[in-house]
Amino acid sequence: MVDQPYVPSNLDVAAGSWKTFILASSADVVVAAPKLVTDAAYLKEIDSLKTVVIPALTSAQKTAIQYWGAGAVLRWNEIGRELAARYNQPPAANAAGVYPVPNAADPLADPRFPFANPPYTARALAYLSVAQYDALVSAWKYKYQYNRKAPYVVDASIKPLLPVTTIPTYPSEDAVVAQASYVILLAMFPGEGPFLTEKLAEAKNVRLWAGMNVGSDVSAGASLGAAVATKVMARAKTDGMSAANNQTIVPDLIAHSKSLGFVTPWASQEIPARPPMLPNYGTVKTFNFDRATMESIRPAKPYLEGSAEFKKDLAELETINKNQTRNQAAIANYWADGPGSYTPPGHWHRYACSAGVEAKYSEVRMARMLAYVGTALMDAGIACWETKYFYYSPRPQQFGLKTSVGLPNFPSYTSGHSTFSFAAATVLSSFFPEKTSLFNGYAQEASDSRVYGLIHFRVDCSMGGKHGKVIGDFAVKRAQLD
Amino acid sequence: MAQMPHDGIYMNKKLACGALIYGNASWTNYWENQLFRDNPNIGRLSTESVTAMLAYGITKKLNVIAVVPYVRTNASQGNLMGQKGLQDASLWFKAKGYSIHGLTLHGVVGLSVPISNYVPDFMPMSIGIGSKSLITRGMISYDLRKYVYVNSSIAYQMRSNVRADRDGYLSGSRFYNTSDVAVPDAFDAALRLGYLKKDNQLEVFAEHFSCVGGDHIRRNDMPFMTNDMTMTSVGVYGKYQPKQIGINARAAYVVAGQNVGQTLSLSVGVLYQFKL
Repeated sequence: MVDQPYVPSNLDVAAGSWKTFILASSADVVVAAPKLVTDAAYLKEIDSLKTVVIPALTSAQKTAIQYWGAGAVLRWNEIGRELAARYNQPPAANAAGVYPVPNAADPLADPRFPFANPPYTARALAYLSVAQYDALVSAWKYKYQYNRKAPYVVDASIKPLLPVTTIPTYPSEDAVVAQASYVILLAMFPGEGPFLTEKLAEAKNVRLWAGMNVGSDVSAGASLGAAVATKVMARAKTDGMSAANNQTIVPDLIAHSKSLGFVTPWASQEIPARPPMLPNYGTVKTFNFDRATMESIRPAKPYLEGSAEFKKDLAELETINKNQTRNQAAIANYWADGPGSYTPPGHWHRYACSAGVEAKYSEVRMARMLAYVGTALMDAGIACWETKYFYYSPRPQQFGLKTSVGLPNFPSYTSGHSTFSFAAATVLSSFFPEKTSLFNGYAQEASDSRVYGLIHFRVDCSMGGKHGKVIGDFAVKRAQLD
Repeated sequence: MAQMPHDGIYMNKKLACGALIYGNASWTNYWENQLFRDNPNIGRLSTESVTAMLAYGITKKLNVIAVVPYVRTNASQGNLMGQKGLQDASLWFKAKGYSIHGLTLHGVVGLSVPISNYVPDFMPMSIGIGSKSLITRGMISYDLRKYVYVNSSIAYQMRSNVRADRDGYLSGSRFYNTSDVAVPDAFDAALRLGYLKKDNQLEVFAEHFSCVGGDHIRRNDMPFMTNDMTMTSVGVYGKYQPKQIGINARAAYVVAGQNVGQTLSLSVGVLYQFKL
């Protein structure tokens, strides 16, 4: 299905008063008043649309108009997911058997920066959505404060090439989203400057090509988007991510695991052994609850090796190892979202976008929904990683099992897929209550897929799922207050 | 006299030959795009197969050949699960055309279809690529002197899209939000030089296979059905069939490639000829 431009079912006229995530309020960044539509400078912009821009459109430009017309938030989320997929590759070991760490200062060298694994991608997409949302809330405030009419309203001889609404066009919401997304994605994928610059230029230009905005609508939107995204990046730069791959804590983590009774703590099954993925990611700052809360909701200790419950879980895996059904393999593959994919958080962002498009969400409502889904996914990643490294529990492969999906290089309990999926399904169900059973069904299948793929014990998944639901509920509670 | 879709040998009318062939193909090193490397998390990747073949002479100038392979994969190291099952069955029609002074033109058409629901997107453990193919081959054989022949052929392989288990995949730098995977078409070319006396045969050959497009295995990633695979192999084939029952054996080795393993393929088969 190709997404098409649509008229939103609700224009969300009052969105300028919605509660932002990072901005103190929608007035945090000031947008100067636009020139009047009778001003000579404005009329010159209108004239340029009529006589220069629109008459000279190429078919490629018309295609671009339709592409971006499906939704700025939607398209930039897709671009973010695509970048995540491109960069989701664990580094190769060098000749000395050492895995080099990707270097943000030299992002295109081998190994490229970043390794967009699930926690990294969850975080990147969360900041992307939060920046889009805060910037759009602010844009909505100024739109209705200044109430500048669209070019095709001011001059009826301009025939717009996209569906129109009565939403005022200054500042341009598409430019706001484009510039905010550009700033975030460039920070998260610093090697993608040329690609992102090209996308940014096109996203802004299509608004002129389509007769939807004049140049000053777009430039005001771009300034606002950049200013908001810079504030969001200030939070991202100090959220603890820079210490997430601190490998010096690993000996203490293993000692702690043993003190809890784990006879066989987790160990990398790769050859040569690869350092665990982001062992300190659990200390990254969460969005929707604080550190003390996170520790209070940490899943209880799983079954220890040798216990009857452990043997039961292991026996389930051994049965699948011998006789995996084609359906089990299909479910495992469908949800694997391993290297070269946009990861489970990306998969859930995709579903969220589809649901928003289906409900004909406005740009600002789409961004809001994605911000809650996105922050819940980021929180799920942090809380799950904190749990994984708190227990440092072994993978089934340490007990002789194979895998049909590839083995992640970090401790087993709890399952990231289960935590991510139930967190996202919980938030999505609150936005789309009629789809609750659909989303919960997806989450359960994603959770089961890790047992079918033989890389998690049943308890990893069931406890991860419960944890994810609690994490999602915090985002839902926050959304109810805004 | 057992015969293959790619040779210039024909069964006489109403004569059939069945074959049961055991094959073992394996590699330790492979080309990740152009980078020649090993992978200690795979070790040696082995693909064992048992193939049933039946060739039949509709006329002495028109033969039909049916092939059904059962395949099993295994990695000697790491934790990737081996796959097994019936792979792609194929049906071939081979026709002898114009002939003059020992030079003969042939045309071959084959259709290959997966006959089990195997997993295509778990390469390199997958037993096949999951695509349906239509293969059209043009071939020239020439009797160089008594018992000695050369045979050269070129084929185009039209390959269908594959429905993957996943609902999105990266190809090149683009992410496709669909389970419908475009597998590139391919061509192959071969040159054979052999000795054929009655039903006994010895041949050396060089073969080249190349996709007409596709992407490359990304750094440290797994292969995928969209990859632009290229390989050049050399090998030897022999057949000994004194009476109804015979044997054949084949060895081939990939000497150059891209996005493929440096495979050594060995096979032995039992042949049985009968009137139908």
